[in-house]
Amino acid sequence: MKRKMKKRLMGILRFIILALFLLAVLAPLYWLFITSFKTNAEINSLEVTYWPHAFTLDNYQKLFEVTEFGVYMKNSLIVTLTTAVIVLLLSISGGYALARYEFKGKKAVLLVFLVSQMIPTILLFIPMFAIFGKMKLNNTLQSLIILYTVFNTPFCLVTLRGFFERIPTSLEEAAWMDGCNKMQSLVKVVIPVLFPGIVATFVFAFTGAWNELLAGIMFINSNSLKTIPVAINAFIGKYSIDWGQMSAACMIALIPTVIFFAVVQKYIVQGLTQGAVKE
Amino acid sequence: MTVREKKRRREAFWLLFPTALLLLVFIAYPLVNTLVLSLQEYKLTSAGKAHFNHFENFRAIIEDPYFTMILRNSFVFTFVTVALQFFLGLTLALALYKPFKGRNVYQAVVFLPWSISALVIGFTFRWLFNAEFGPVNDIGLKLGILQEKISFLGNGTMALSCVIAAMVWYGVPFFGIMLTAAFQSIPMDLYEAAEIDGSNAVKKFFYITLPYAKPTIVLTLLLRTIWVFNSADLIYVMTNGGPGNATHTLASYMFSKAYSTLNFGQTGALGTMFMAGLAIYTLMFMKITRYDGSGGF
Repeated sequence: MKRKMKKRLMGILRFIILALFLLAVLAPLYWLFITSFKTNAEINSLEVTYWPHAFTLDNYQKLFEVTEFGVYMKNSLIVTLTTAVIVLLLSISGGYALARYEFKGKKAVLLVFLVSQMIPTILLFIPMFAIFGKMKLNNTLQSLIILYTVFNTPFCLVTLRGFFERIPTSLEEAAWMDGCNKMQSLVKVVIPVLFPGIVATFVFAFTGAWNELLAGIMFINSNSLKTIPVAINAFIGKYSIDWGQMSAACMIALIPTVIFFAVVQKYIVQGLTQGAVKE
Repeated sequence: MTVREKKRRREAFWLLFPTALLLLVFIAYPLVNTLVLSLQEYKLTSAGKAHFNHFENFRAIIEDPYFTMILRNSFVFTFVTVALQFFLGLTLALALYKPFKGRNVYQAVVFLPWSISALVIGFTFRWLFNAEFGPVNDIGLKLGILQEKISFLGNGTMALSCVIAAMVWYGVPFFGIMLTAAFQSIPMDLYEAAEIDGSNAVKKFFYITLPYAKPTIVLTLLLRTIWVFNSADLIYVMTNGGPGNATHTLASYMFSKAYSTLNFGQTGALGTMFMAGLAIYTLMFMKITRYDGSGGF
């Protein structure tokens, strides 16, 4: 009897904890969401409202009329997709090498990748400014693609290596027996099985590039080359902020990655914990 | 070495070559470059006149009246953030431990902050803590917690707390994910055996769950610590170091200095000091985790 009571109490406590976490996660996002649909008058009113009195799409409409938000979106997409594809290719070939080959210096290579994860990206900005200057790449989207590839490849490569290690070598050997060469067995046998790993890696690289702010600020000057975060930052850095319009911009900025995470969450968790949790 | 082995080594080399080249050119070379810059008088505004200046940059930083405060901010910010992220993440992981209906959907939702950019988080929290129209002030007043509206981001200590709150919000899911996975990889029969021996839940947690998950916990904590220490973007968006440098950390200060002054010599010196600290931390990290190259991050 006592045991049953205790179990019940624990259940209630657990429910309360889970509910509180849910509330804490959703409240800030809810506030952003409703702000983006409020009128300016309602936003700048001392009476704070928690559901828009007058529901309006004005903020979204004005965002595209007043600012060049379409251009920023295009820039973000170009930079992000190019980065994600390059990172994926590098991760597949490098991850495969680290999972399937034994060679001298392998531990050193892994250590270099680990250390590269500990270096703050901002530390690279100053020398990169000079290097890009020489390469005539300052203020170009290419400079961001290069940097984002460099920032994201080590983590993605090691993540994919973990996925490769879970694929039995026998699967590939069977393909070789059937007359496939290495390249063919990689494309026809390994990569399909690797699908969750590829999805996770792609989402990591995509999110990393899509969300990056400081390099964008440092290396992009022209308005027509700004990515979404850089553009929003320029607007909110000014003295008076148009909270409604910027909330709308932030809503658009967070949609792609939030959808990715919600849809392929299982793969992402698998990718994150790959290697860190050995069974 | 047989011909076959040689061939395999060559294959591995070429598969890793593009990445290695990329890291060499865009990480290793810039780091060396930072060291060189730190010893020079070098401002982009007067380029071409770089020359050795007898550690003047280092002296300027150490004599900077804000330097001690910024260093202290860095440690407070990192320690408080990581500690809160860890304990909340642990609570979340424990609450998620037993399966329940809709657990997958729940996980997908509470892990969302991790996918959101520092810009959006910074903007949203700035707006939440707004002195006039923000809901934190409004709810605080309505509940009687606050007597009058407070300018949260206008006061040094409070502004730092607000940035920490945003950072915690962002980072709890990461700990939640790692710890949940670690707990779920613990073999069930260990618990069953403990139950036969008459262990209660608390005992099981301290004698089975924690020891078993320890490697993951240590690795996650150490990596998170360095990432939080390195992060500058959220601070930049929320307060830009203000009011009066009160919320600057070493990382955000370095970015501001690089971006607004283009004084590459001094920023390079700051970077060099940063690297020295990192090197010590990395050695410590490897000793604590007994890193042998076999694990991931």
